Amino acid sequence: MALRELVNKIVPIKEDFSIKSLLGFKKTPLNVLVFFMIMGLLLLLVWGLAQFLMHGHHAYNVTREHPWGLLISGYIFFVGTSTGLCIIASLGHVFGIKEFNHIGKRTTLLAIITLLPGFIIILTEIGHPVTMMIYNILTPGITSAIWWMGTLYGLVLTFIILEFGFALRGNHKWAVRLGIGGLIADVAAFTTLGSVFAYLVARPIANGPFIPLYFLLTAVVSGAFFMFMIYGFKHKLNFPEEVKITLVKLAKILGLLLAVTMFFEWWRIITAIYGDMPERADTMMRIIASTSFQLEVLFAMVIPFVIILVSKGTALKALFFSSIAALISIFLMRNDMVHHAQMMPMQMLKKTEYQLAPTWIEYSPSPVEWAIAVGALGVCFLLYYVAEKAFDLDEDDHH
Amino acid sequence: MARYGMALDYKNCINCKACETACKEENGILMGADKHRIWVGTGEIEGQYPLLDLTSNVFHPSQCQHCDNAPCEEVCPTQATYTDENGVVRVNIDQCILCSYCMNACPYDARYVDDRTMTVDKCNFCAETRLARGETTTACQNTCPTKVRIFGDLDDPNSEISEVLRTREHYSLKAHLGTKPKLFYLT
Repeated sequence: MALRELVNKIVPIKEDFSIKSLLGFKKTPLNVLVFFMIMGLLLLLVWGLAQFLMHGHHAYNVTREHPWGLLISGYIFFVGTSTGLCIIASLGHVFGIKEFNHIGKRTTLLAIITLLPGFIIILTEIGHPVTMMIYNILTPGITSAIWWMGTLYGLVLTFIILEFGFALRGNHKWAVRLGIGGLIADVAAFTTLGSVFAYLVARPIANGPFIPLYFLLTAVVSGAFFMFMIYGFKHKLNFPEEVKITLVKLAKILGLLLAVTMFFEWWRIITAIYGDMPERADTMMRIIASTSFQLEVLFAMVIPFVIILVSKGTALKALFFSSIAALISIFLMRNDMVHHAQMMPMQMLKKTEYQLAPTWIEYSPSPVEWAIAVGALGVCFLLYYVAEKAFDLDEDDHH
Repeated sequence: MARYGMALDYKNCINCKACETACKEENGILMGADKHRIWVGTGEIEGQYPLLDLTSNVFHPSQCQHCDNAPCEEVCPTQATYTDENGVVRVNIDQCILCSYCMNACPYDARYVDDRTMTVDKCNFCAETRLARGETTTACQNTCPTKVRIFGDLDDPNSEISEVLRTREHYSLKAHLGTKPKLFYLT
């Protein structure tokens, strides 16, 4: 098989990997459920993409007043999780915390497969992706945060794919070097994505240094939750000792980061409300009164923090279930952040505009936006399944 | 080479919306409430009869401010938004990728999506229509029955707009953001 030999020369794939091995999973109820879930998500994505190709932005519920919607949130969710996973992957190889060495390869893979759905989503959000590729190079807008973010994420993908390839080949020296490059590029890329909002002088609720820092912090939180979910599924909640040690350590890091996140949120709220500054205080009051914000704080911050605090990070089963709820809440959190930045209307003398007085801007995603943002998760799960079958993701004896 | 701007004697506005209509007609703007380059904001009369607050019933014509320091231009990843040689902030639709960043960055809500090209559109002081034909007025200015709008070269000390800005008090919108608008409201 020539193709197989060719691929093997680049990265070693498992001997028994074949289409047959992909379809030959044990037909347990859980496996069958996951199979249908992935297929369902992929069908959703295909339908969403078909609608996008036929109708473009007309298939979305974005408006003049609310031009960014669920797809931007979905993109932030996936690339943020990827950044978090990239940072966690570097804990072992780059920062020398030896308990994290054995998860390096798998976590790098997870960083790749969460980045790709993010890219799929953003390509459907950009109205003219081909024009983007041409003019990003021909006439780069170097004062634009979007240009830097896109360019940096291109670098990130290159770094982490090469890092993963070298790790698979057992070339740890180059894997570490590329891992450092990937880490720096990834942190730069995701904080730059935060700056896309932070630079908006027109939006007092988003403008300022908070969002890039908050993005970096919540990226690791999101990545850690993703790790608990994946390792929980992989080991069916019966964690081997080595994995248990790593996850308990990760839980402690997560606990600390959650505490910092809550601290951040607290001061963001107080400083926004204090002084009753127009367009900031009233927006913040509306944010804290919204159910989605309360759910986000409860499920993505308070509950996992309490579990970690009470169990000292050892309640891994509880953390697994809490992680699934937390990831859904982080998806909400990203959506909230994008919506909150836009919900204050730009009054601009439009006291009544075409007989409609400006009020708080409402936005509800269209079915197509939901299909693409949620369906992209199917790509993530499918790639993980294929990679699990194709590559040896557990660390060799090198460490 | 000029540096075009516009002064608005907004207290003369009678909200006839002829400017909005003329803009749509001249520049081929699509119909629909959210497809507009310019607009007239209307303040309803506040208070209860007979204590009506007549000062609340004002009309505020507005549009793109053609900022000297335009946030929309700064955030554009492909330089599709640019300031032309006459100081007019314009969009090159061939380069626009519809990332919508400019729509979010504009503090004046002056941008919208043109459904025909699926690119972002905005007021360009009739640069592709009237100015391109060699005329020296914009459609909104030309049609205004109460002569609210004064359009001209800010760098020409003898232009009507320069004269008006020298002799009458005026303000700009959201000047604290540092955008340096070239639309001036005469008081």
